[in-house]
Amino acid sequence: MSQYWMLIAILLPIVGGILVKVIPFSDRRIMKIYLECIMIVTSVIVFLLAGMRPQGKLEVVHFMQDLSISFRIDGMSMVFSVLVAALWPLAMLYSFEYMEHEKHQRVFFMFYSITYGVTLGISYASDMLSMYFFYELLTLVTVPLILHSLSRQAIHATRKYLYYSLGGAAFALIGIVFLMVYGNQLDFVMGGVLNLEKIGDKKQVLLVVYLIACMGFGVKAAMWPMGSWLPDAGVAPTPVTALLHAVAVVKAGVFAIIRLTYYSFGTEFLRGTWVQAVVMAFAMFSIVYGCTRAVMERHIKRRLAYSTISNLSYIIFSAAIMTPLGLVGALTHMICHACMKICSFLCAGAVMHQTEKMYIDDLNGYGRKMPVVFGCFTVSALGLMGVPGLAGFISKWNIAKAAVASERLQAYLGVGCLLISAFLTSIYMMSIVFRAYFPGRNFRYEDIEEVKDPSWRMCLPLMLFALAVICLGLFSGPLVRFFTDVASGMY
Amino acid sequence: MGETQIYLLAWIVFFPLAGAGVTYLAGRTDKRFRDYMACAVAVIEFLMTMIILITMKDQTAGVELPGICQMGLKFETDGFRAVYGTVAAFMWMMTTLFSTEYFRHYRNRNRYYLFMIMTLGATEGVLFSADLYTTFIFFEMMSFTSYVWVAQDERKESLRAAETYLAIAVIGGLVILMGLFLLYHQTGTLMIDDLYQACQGKNVLAACVCMFVGFGAKAGAFPLHIWLPKAHPVAPAPASALLSGILTKTGIFGILVISCKILFHDARWGTFVLLVGVLTMVAGAVLAVFSIDIKRTLACSSVSQIGFILVGIGMQGLLGEENILAVRGTMLHMVNHSLFKLTLFMAAGVIYMNLHKLELNEIRGFGRNKPLLKLAFLSGALGIGGVPLFSGYISKTLLHESIVEYAGIAGKSDQILGVPDIRLVEWLFLISGGLTVAYMLKLFMAVFVEKNKDRQRQKAYDDLKGSYMNTMSKIVLGICAVLFPLMGILPDRFMNWMADLGQTFMGAEEAAEQISWFGMTNLSGSLISVLLGAAVYLLVIRGWMMKKQADGSKEYVNCWPAVLDLEDYLYRPVLLQVLPAVAGGVCKVLDKLVDVFAKIQPLAAYVEASFFNTIQDPVIVEMKKDIYHGSEEPDDPEEGNPVTHVLGRCCNAVKHLLNATIWKKHPCKTDFKHKFALRYEQFRENMMLIGRSMSYGLLLFSLGLCITLIYLLIAAVRMA
Repeated sequence: MSQYWMLIAILLPIVGGILVKVIPFSDRRIMKIYLECIMIVTSVIVFLLAGMRPQGKLEVVHFMQDLSISFRIDGMSMVFSVLVAALWPLAMLYSFEYMEHEKHQRVFFMFYSITYGVTLGISYASDMLSMYFFYELLTLVTVPLILHSLSRQAIHATRKYLYYSLGGAAFALIGIVFLMVYGNQLDFVMGGVLNLEKIGDKKQVLLVVYLIACMGFGVKAAMWPMGSWLPDAGVAPTPVTALLHAVAVVKAGVFAIIRLTYYSFGTEFLRGTWVQAVVMAFAMFSIVYGCTRAVMERHIKRRLAYSTISNLSYIIFSAAIMTPLGLVGALTHMICHACMKICSFLCAGAVMHQTEKMYIDDLNGYGRKMPVVFGCFTVSALGLMGVPGLAGFISKWNIAKAAVASERLQAYLGVGCLLISAFLTSIYMMSIVFRAYFPGRNFRYEDIEEVKDPSWRMCLPLMLFALAVICLGLFSGPLVRFFTDVASGMY
Repeated sequence: MGETQIYLLAWIVFFPLAGAGVTYLAGRTDKRFRDYMACAVAVIEFLMTMIILITMKDQTAGVELPGICQMGLKFETDGFRAVYGTVAAFMWMMTTLFSTEYFRHYRNRNRYYLFMIMTLGATEGVLFSADLYTTFIFFEMMSFTSYVWVAQDERKESLRAAETYLAIAVIGGLVILMGLFLLYHQTGTLMIDDLYQACQGKNVLAACVCMFVGFGAKAGAFPLHIWLPKAHPVAPAPASALLSGILTKTGIFGILVISCKILFHDARWGTFVLLVGVLTMVAGAVLAVFSIDIKRTLACSSVSQIGFILVGIGMQGLLGEENILAVRGTMLHMVNHSLFKLTLFMAAGVIYMNLHKLELNEIRGFGRNKPLLKLAFLSGALGIGGVPLFSGYISKTLLHESIVEYAGIAGKSDQILGVPDIRLVEWLFLISGGLTVAYMLKLFMAVFVEKNKDRQRQKAYDDLKGSYMNTMSKIVLGICAVLFPLMGILPDRFMNWMADLGQTFMGAEEAAEQISWFGMTNLSGSLISVLLGAAVYLLVIRGWMMKKQADGSKEYVNCWPAVLDLEDYLYRPVLLQVLPAVAGGVCKVLDKLVDVFAKIQPLAAYVEASFFNTIQDPVIVEMKKDIYHGSEEPDDPEEGNPVTHVLGRCCNAVKHLLNATIWKKHPCKTDFKHKFALRYEQFRENMMLIGRSMSYGLLLFSLGLCITLIYLLIAAVRMA
């Protein structure tokens, strides 16, 4: 396919989103059909692009020397863009019903759509600067989404999100500047672009800079000291929490860390240094931290948000192993976690939409009244725990395999963290499931007579995601083989 | 071995999984149809395993489903797996047939059947698995689906027991997984048959210990046996039978893989397993004697019998090449115990079905004139007690003989255990056997011989005579009960056949020598146990554990040692209170630190404020005492901060002074304290806005840029 299709894929949802505000739709239904069409068309383009990959890069704006905004599709781009493209139309479908009774729907859908384009921009960016551009843009276009309800909490959460994200990005910029100075180029190349001759005896400085940049991107990936914006941002409407704060935005952070580690600084340069140990240690701590906080949390969305913190750190931990196997584990968990977490968030959202209950203590007996929602939730909960046969097990297996194969003591400890976290996950996820299905002998189902499953627009995405969790668990072979190819630099 | 039969193997695993779904759907329309459906699935499954068992002999054959769950699922059958798969299917068939009556008045039966049949598939998956990866997948699946059995009643105790069960299962599963990682990393394969070769010269002990802990937890080995006595009394009886008869055996299957495939003929490992086995055997038997709840006694008995099996596995390792007796004993005791528990739990189920009680004093006398139930229970009790002419005698004799055999070679330089050690083991073995007789005697006497002390109740029990169970249950119970004497009287026909099939899996190739089953040496061991049991029953149980009541009748006293409950006094507090408190505390403290760090500006204000607070508080207290003595409290201190208070108060004082002197005509009415406080609030708000605003982010951004620039400058200077 022509390279220009990349630009179309990015611009279509952005322009289409802006037009939502411009075109005077007479009927909400038409607006929704219009939006869904844009989403589907964009996704189709993305799938085609992944299937028929345009070679070479497309330079859109040229600044000076080798600084430009340009796009290219490599293995990582394929993984991230296809993931996003698979989720967005479904999440959009879900949000139509979820947002039915909310105000400011147009603004919401406008930014929801724009975010899609920007996220694709991140995945297609061919060099550090382009990625950084879209990365910052992502922060800005998601602000109105968190702000949506305009409540005090929302404003507070938005501010927190903004200053965490922008602050983090500032640190990341330092890394870019150093890459410019000490690298051969800014383009992403598997194995890194550093020029060892230029570096000379300044290796330690570069390591510090890597750490700073990594932590900077780690803000979006919600690593421990910088992750507290994520649970607060749960005040946003559920489609936002589900798609952005479980997949798009946070995975963009992880994506950036992988780009930085594998494609810019290069694993050869970093492996075995103290920086690797530090990043791994932070990731390991975040894994346990997220789970522990999740166990202590009673609000269902906040609980899931803490779970996200923990799971994102799985990915970072795996990436920090800095071997091809580690990258395979990271990518596998990126995909699997996306499906599982979006599914569980959407289920939580469905419960909130149908009953306005948001604390897990209120969910007694719902399993029988909302069979579809809780069926899907159970699948995703079991998946998150890592029960064999579901997606979570495959990714955890790969991560642990990579960790053990690296033969570092710290990596072994990391496997221990994974196992502890799996146990805690079983506590915080299964306690919800058990409440719903085993409310106790004397529970009166008449009390929750009015609780029922939402309409097909909400149920369909749920069921598809649950199905994806099962399929990923059972037939992950081709996917993992593809990741292995990506990690070995074939694309 | 034909193609079709190989695929039969995969069918055995996946047919119940599919059948479960169909049964569930059937149950939503018609309950009777659902019951037939469930029975049909179980019967067909049994027939399929029988085909495998009969056509296989002891050949091996395997089938692989590549790519499923990434590594592919691999199934295999050999003599051991075929026998055990058949035993499992047999037990499922019997319990499912029995369930129809047992669950007549239950709620949520659909759910029960769904998970019961699914677990059948998962269990067959574990038993027929050819690599540990497959084992693990089905093992976990089995743990989760069987959770529902325990929680089925949804009573408070059931949910609590189910929680325990699941926690043990999850932790056990994770520990196994850790072991698998280590093993896979070292050997590069998880195929059970290749493991021995692959592990040569490698240190796989850590992996083995991990897996042992995990599988041991499922098997009910000490000290992780806690789930058995909790889960069995609350689970429905058919489920208890399966839990204790077959699910524990999947744990044993895992331990066998370790002992016979990885650490094959390893004497040190054997000693370790033996130790765990002896502890489990004794602890279970003692607890069983104390219990006065029929199902809990049976559960503790399961723990004890698992201990016997572990002793057998330990002896296999210790004896090395000459372990044929231990191998055959282990194999047969596994099969025996499964069938015993099937019968005994179903008999207990009949009691519960009629009375909804399990406590011995309440159900006392229930079985007095119900000959079928009595004989079935007696058959199981004699079997498990190891009385000659019943099947339990054969397997226990083999295990005992293996210990005696080791005593012959113990004490030589290259042996780990000395003669006194092995004598001790032998005596503990016999004593545990004796305790087994004692607690089974206790149950039998209480339910089937003694009269209930409540006359009317006894009459009610007697009146149930004809209607206490239906024909189907009678047939099921009858078939089970006939097995034990049949197998016990003709050991060479049935038992040897099973042992021959099973021994290849455990690495014994040679044919067994002819054993004179009913020779004097063999009988004497059994005799000692039975005599010991009788003595314990008469002295301890009748003498100590039964108290005379006012009216002269004797009643069973609950001697259950609650203080020794590891779960309530160790595991739960540690896991649920200590760990979360510590971890949560650490997390919270760290969070606070981060928050403080992120708000450096408010922090400055905070430090300042608290500084003034500390120096001001004593001052205010002093002032209150001396100057404002007896006056009103100062204004509410919520407004503003100490600085504004002090400042405002000073200004107010000046104002008063001025009002009194200069501004007499136009007194100033401003309350400076309030004014300053308002100003402060505004200021604070602004600071907060700044702190949380975009400009702050940009500030940081530019800070980053500045640092970079400075660095570049320095670098340029140094270069020049």
